[in-house]
Amino acid sequence: MSIRTHRMHFPLSADDARSLRAGDQLILDGEIVVTAGLPTHQRLLKALGGAEPLPLQLHGGCLFHIGSYSQEAADGSFQVLYINPTTSTRFNPYMPALIRQLGLHAVGGKGGLDAASVEAMKETGCVYLSFLGGGCTLLSQALRGVLEIGWPDMLTHYRVVRLKVEGLGPVTVAIDAHGNSCYADAQAQASASMDAILSELDAGRAEFCGNRS
Amino acid sequence: MSIQPETVRRVTAKLYDRSLRGIPSDTRSALLALETIDRSETARHTLRIMVESADAAARDSHFICSDAGVPVFFVRVGTQARFAGDVRRAITDGFADLVGNIQPPLLPHVTHPLTLERGHAGKGMPLTTFDLVDGSDCVDITCSPKALGSGRWEALEIFSFPDRATIERYVIETVCKAGSQPCPPVVIGVGVGGSFDYAAKMAKEATLRPIGERHAEPLVADMERRLAAAINKTGFGPMGTGGDSTALSVNVNYCAGHGFTPVAVAFNCWINRRTRARIYNDNRVEIVE
Repeated sequence: MSIRTHRMHFPLSADDARSLRAGDQLILDGEIVVTAGLPTHQRLLKALGGAEPLPLQLHGGCLFHIGSYSQEAADGSFQVLYINPTTSTRFNPYMPALIRQLGLHAVGGKGGLDAASVEAMKETGCVYLSFLGGGCTLLSQALRGVLEIGWPDMLTHYRVVRLKVEGLGPVTVAIDAHGNSCYADAQAQASASMDAILSELDAGRAEFCGNRS
Repeated sequence: MSIQPETVRRVTAKLYDRSLRGIPSDTRSALLALETIDRSETARHTLRIMVESADAAARDSHFICSDAGVPVFFVRVGTQARFAGDVRRAITDGFADLVGNIQPPLLPHVTHPLTLERGHAGKGMPLTTFDLVDGSDCVDITCSPKALGSGRWEALEIFSFPDRATIERYVIETVCKAGSQPCPPVVIGVGVGGSFDYAAKMAKEATLRPIGERHAEPLVADMERRLAAAINKTGFGPMGTGGDSTALSVNVNYCAGHGFTPVAVAFNCWINRRTRARIYNDNRVEIVE
């Protein structure tokens, strides 16, 4: 089976998201929104509860767990020097609510999300994209501009940043909008084959003499 | 002649900078080797992009990963080495120099563990360990910055008179718990025996061993080979999206202890940050890798 590679314009529509399958490769053009902050996720949920306005328009868009180094220039404009994904699993407690309440069609980062998020993603028509951890140089080359910086009062990688990108990727569609997850598959495979793996580990163990008393 | 603090300061800053912009040559070779044998097409594709990413960072002198980690230095001091000033101060100053001058700038990852306040400096930074080497007239410094992805999943458990099967199962269990999260394929360092602190240190040191080098003792080398084969059957694969390539290497270090046996498991993500230099008494500096 050969890999399917797609090139799509972001923000992604629900239909586009649903056309993708786990294992596909995707190249991104258009607008993406990124943040890497745990406090940001907590603040987003409070904002959705009415505590304050959202930092920028997020409904029906994408939200990637990607850190960015943003720098304010003398004229007040922002420049982003580099981007790179962070581990998504630490945002597991917040993602199902964010996916549903914001109607997200693409999330991502690295390391995946849990079953509760996968359920939410099925409802909204949303994919999880695996960006290369350690892909800073390649991913940053796709930056074409900084469109908006939300919550600039936060640490640089905690800010919510809308970026213009061209040819970002390829990234792996690691969870699709139909409930298929490469991460869950890998965990299931590890569990299913564990008895065989351990038997082989034991069988190969050479005897070395020792006094154990 | 004596080693000047200025030399230590300059070398530690340089080692950190270099560790962010390239991967060790053994690691690049190991990724390419896995790319030829992994049965998953997605895995092979991801491994190719990894090498491409590392090459692009080296070519452009850019960062491979935005998580520059926290600074970690292992210093081996020869008993015949002489210092003309404070060494720990020099390493701290070297890190401050790096933070002040590096381009592009580093994200603030140094975190106060009790308040979660983040910045570029903090109590006890850089994390530095010192060991003595009898008879040597130089200082070996290894820099291996630690980032969140791999640092989060390291683990230690203490067993009572465990057999090897128990120890090996704990390693596999820890790898499965980490799963997709530490950016596999990972270098896995295992420390067995000694005491709580020794086991963790041995595991960390084991991650620094050149890939392909097996432990000198057949019993340990056998354990390393079997563990690597077992881990590469779990199916997590590159970036955890499936494949045969979960471990770049499994390196085990041990020392004797009592009947309570700590087993520590440490990870280095695929970029396997590791740079080394040697400083002689005449302030000559040899960049080892």
